[in-house]
Amino acid sequence: MYKYDYIDQTLVNERVTQFKDQVERRIDGSLPEEEFRPLRLQNGLYHQRHAYMLRVAIPYGLLSSDQLRTLAHIANKYDRGYGHFTTRQNIQFNWIKLEESPAILADLAKVQMHAIQTSGNCIRNITSDAFAGVAADEYVDPRPVCELLRQWSTLHPEFAFLPRKFKFAVCGAKEDRTILLCHDVGISLKKNPQGELVADIYAGGGMGRTPILGSLIKENLPWNILPSYLTALLRVYNRFGRRDNIYKARIKILVKALGPEEFARQVEGEWASIKDGDDNFQQSEWDRVANHFTKPAYKSAQSISTQDLIDGVPANEQVAFARWLERNVKAHQVAGYASVIFSLKPHGSVAPGDATTEQMLAIADLADQYSFGELRVTHEQNLVLADVEQSKLLELWHKAKAQNVVLPNIGLLTDIIACPGGDFCSLANAKSLPIAKAIQERFDDLDYLHDLGEISLNISGCINSCGHHHVGNIGVLGVDKDGEEWYQITLGGEQGNHAAIGKVIGPSFGAEQIPEVMADIIDTFVKHRTADEAFIETYRRLGVTPFKEAAYLNRSKENIAGAGV
Amino acid sequence: MSQSVMQNSKNVLLYPKDGKPSIIANEWLIWNGTDHGQTFPEIEREQKVLVPFQWWLSHGQAQAKDSDSELARRIQNQTIGVWFAADDDVLKHAEVIAAGKLIWPVVGADFPIFRDGRSFSTAALLRERFHWAGEIRAIGDVLIDQLIQGARSGFDSFALRADQNRDVALKQFDLFTVTTQNSWRDRRSQLNGQLNSQAIKTSQ
Repeated sequence: MYKYDYIDQTLVNERVTQFKDQVERRIDGSLPEEEFRPLRLQNGLYHQRHAYMLRVAIPYGLLSSDQLRTLAHIANKYDRGYGHFTTRQNIQFNWIKLEESPAILADLAKVQMHAIQTSGNCIRNITSDAFAGVAADEYVDPRPVCELLRQWSTLHPEFAFLPRKFKFAVCGAKEDRTILLCHDVGISLKKNPQGELVADIYAGGGMGRTPILGSLIKENLPWNILPSYLTALLRVYNRFGRRDNIYKARIKILVKALGPEEFARQVEGEWASIKDGDDNFQQSEWDRVANHFTKPAYKSAQSISTQDLIDGVPANEQVAFARWLERNVKAHQVAGYASVIFSLKPHGSVAPGDATTEQMLAIADLADQYSFGELRVTHEQNLVLADVEQSKLLELWHKAKAQNVVLPNIGLLTDIIACPGGDFCSLANAKSLPIAKAIQERFDDLDYLHDLGEISLNISGCINSCGHHHVGNIGVLGVDKDGEEWYQITLGGEQGNHAAIGKVIGPSFGAEQIPEVMADIIDTFVKHRTADEAFIETYRRLGVTPFKEAAYLNRSKENIAGAGV
Repeated sequence: MSQSVMQNSKNVLLYPKDGKPSIIANEWLIWNGTDHGQTFPEIEREQKVLVPFQWWLSHGQAQAKDSDSELARRIQNQTIGVWFAADDDVLKHAEVIAAGKLIWPVVGADFPIFRDGRSFSTAALLRERFHWAGEIRAIGDVLIDQLIQGARSGFDSFALRADQNRDVALKQFDLFTVTTQNSWRDRRSQLNGQLNSQAIKTSQ
């Protein structure tokens, strides 16, 4: 993975010094809270319900074992012994003291990490495919472009105070695993017929209050020209994005108002004068960065069939191991290797995406022993060892069991994506974690979950949509009505190549109703599915009506919110 | 009443592109242009003043054509410039700005509130597109923690808000010794010999 050079390290160290000075000015009162707020946000520091929360960047989801150990140490020393992996591949610590935040940043800098631009109205941490560089369906390894863009966007002076936050996703595989179309800018990498690396640019996607899928505004852009093109795009947004209404300030609103063609035309107009500028990347920069993303020292090994793997296991463990292989182990580019997903979604016991200090330390050791000392964070809030020898899978499964991260529920109903919600977040209208817990407890039957097959269930505690409810096959959104917490259900959302925004089925439900509403929706699916149909396929075939009818049938009025909620 | 539409900082932070930052006495009054309509306000003859770009477009240009006018005299004496509001679209007025390069010693760009970053793009465009070589001054809600971004985007002077500590402000420019993207002020840092001097040209 990428290693900082002198320049990267100096920049991060100097950023720590700058932030330390800003915190000191806040504490001595010379910097009022209102003016400090955007500064702390640009360094990932939120003020939550109980304490400060620090969001640490995990650029494009890639972590070394030593970095994970530092995160574990921070959780232990400055927090309450755990961290929360987020839907943007970052990690959050929920119980931080302002005065200690510079010391945390200094600890992070020692392992080439930071919290730069993990919040605020600026270019946020860039997300990518958690299986970059190893996925069997990859066209192009997106990581060099991600890293070059990370550097380009870090402390970019012109775009430090945009109308609103700005999120990039980068993908380079046949199957999109980045929710590319729900980003302010989605960069889809591919090779052109001449074998050159080019990008298609999608703009104006996003979730939140106004969910919209991004529009293709530029095709076949040479990789090295990304800085000038993105400068033009961001400049148009910086100048003309709305600033009068926070809910209409994202680029998606500008793209929608102008129309994608007109937006693209304005970007082209701006770009024309800067496209040959010296801000563009050079081959020497590619070489320097890409050199860090070469393949690790794979052993030459024969591919092992799933059946052979299962046959090598004692009879009493075969069913469980087979399930784990099916759900939590993914195909790899290299024969004899596989990628393993550790589930951070145990049923009902912890918040989705949480890991304790002990787990992080143990997982870091497993990464050293089985996966070249590297890990990835998925936007579904799980962890990945990307380069595991198939012959070591059983051994790894046994060891990982002790950390409670082998539940074979990846992609299933209980692999719930959820934001921290009203338990922590001061923006939330409603809690999301108890809902996730109740659903996981209601569906705590692995046989049944496996029979149901792939279903994504995403929960957001407010319309900011950090829990990505819009793209869940089933989405749950916390809403507030007269100070009470209610939950709105959407169906039909999807990530990946068929990305779609879910549709609201009707009035909201009370919290205690949600597990049974889920059961009614799932029962409807089971009743109507044909053969191995996935939930989303049945939904697409039948439409919302039967699901909606089941959800509201026999449900008393006091458990359903009035119209408009 | 006229006092309420004038901003007059005691001093400004000057940071020439190839020089060092310093605090110097301010010579430029900023007229907000709000309650005078087309009439140029009563300002001492020698007092340098920045007028709103929108006022210049609506009234100033025409008045300046009369060689006996106050504006014509001020152009002669180099005591008038303009300031751009955050929502002024400089690209729509390329000819006026090109002409202004010959007569305005200083232009300003306004920050209606510190977290409004539009004027960073205005300054960048003035430097990149109009090759503006003269002073560009940040005015309005200019705070210590915008100085680095401003200085890199294209500003070389800052009318800091009155309550901002000038000593702390001057220290900002020493905080970073490296950068990872090009800007008006500096090229991205490179380890020895890593970057060719010539950018790759695109045929697009």
